[in-house]
Amino acid sequence: MTEPRDTGSDGDGSRVREQSKILKEKIARAQGRRTEAAGRPGQSAGSDNSGMNRGMRLGTEFIAAVLVGAVAGYLLDRWLNTSPWIMLVLLLVGFAAGVLNVTRAAAEMNRASPPPPGSDLGPGDDEEDQ
Amino acid sequence: MADPNKVDPIHQFQISKIVSFGDGGFAFTNSALFMALAVGLIIAFLLLSTSRRGIVPNRVQLISEMLYEFVANMVRNSAGTAGMKFFPFVFSLFMFVLVANMFGMIPFFFTVTSHIIITFALALLVFAVVIIYGFWHNGPKFLKLFVPSGVPAYVLPIVVPIEVVSFLSRPISLSVRLFANILAGHITLKVFAGFIVTLGGLGFLGWLGALLPLAMTVAITALEFLVAALQAYVFAVLTSMYINDAIHPSH
Repeated sequence: MTEPRDTGSDGDGSRVREQSKILKEKIARAQGRRTEAAGRPGQSAGSDNSGMNRGMRLGTEFIAAVLVGAVAGYLLDRWLNTSPWIMLVLLLVGFAAGVLNVTRAAAEMNRASPPPPGSDLGPGDDEEDQ
Repeated sequence: MADPNKVDPIHQFQISKIVSFGDGGFAFTNSALFMALAVGLIIAFLLLSTSRRGIVPNRVQLISEMLYEFVANMVRNSAGTAGMKFFPFVFSLFMFVLVANMFGMIPFFFTVTSHIIITFALALLVFAVVIIYGFWHNGPKFLKLFVPSGVPAYVLPIVVPIEVVSFLSRPISLSVRLFANILAGHITLKVFAGFIVTLGGLGFLGWLGALLPLAMTVAITALEFLVAALQAYVFAVLTSMYINDAIHPSH
């Protein structure tokens, strides 16, 4: 097996070997990507990129927390006969939880789609206003 | 409903009994029928497409392999390799929601996911899995989910209830999002399609005007197919993210 020729079984053999080497490299690269991706969970999740979908997500995150707070407060009030105090407190807690949910979802979306490199994002947090 | 000329966009969501068992109100409804059809279609498709496995896949096998890869990558990205033991769970949920949504796009078919009780039951199932696995895997440390790290002790009485309510709101938002998207989409579709009939009753000019809602109906139908697939994806992604919380309970 000295020189690959244009025709004949010897040339075919080396071409096949070359192709299988390329395939092996491709498989190794794909496997590397997989373990690399598995190392950092929660990074590229929620890469849903339609605006309507993001809006629905943020809206339901907020409403759901307020609803849970209000309903939990109402049920506790009925149980303890303290109407309407627990409901008032838990409604506010639910409001805070809704804001927390929205900020978390928004941070997640920002992580999923970072701004393109070179875009002007304004002054950074550490820069002083002159 | 009795008047066929009256447009009634809600009628499509009505549940009717097909077979009743006794007087207890226990019945096989059209909703149950389409759930069974969805599950049957998924099982039949996956079994048929993988029955003659080849190293070089044919077209049908390729579809199911792509579905597998899609969900597997999603689970790996959001819950890590440790989350892969939940892959069958997430894959079943994804396939069920996807096929049920797509069934809803076929005329005269019942849309299972347009009823909040169905989506809420699915969300409760996800949360039962998250809570049970979280306590089984982490023990009492699972409660750290409600105590963010780096918070001083004197604000904990405020932060912990907020975190608890935030956690409890997840099944609500998960189920409401799927249900609201599908319900709103189907009602919009019916209302716009109803405009065509109503305008058509006005004579020739009415038929000309009816072209506008007709174009709108075609556009909304395409949008609804997108929403149906997207909502199944969102449901599965959020499920795997919540499972990630059960595996790694610290923020």
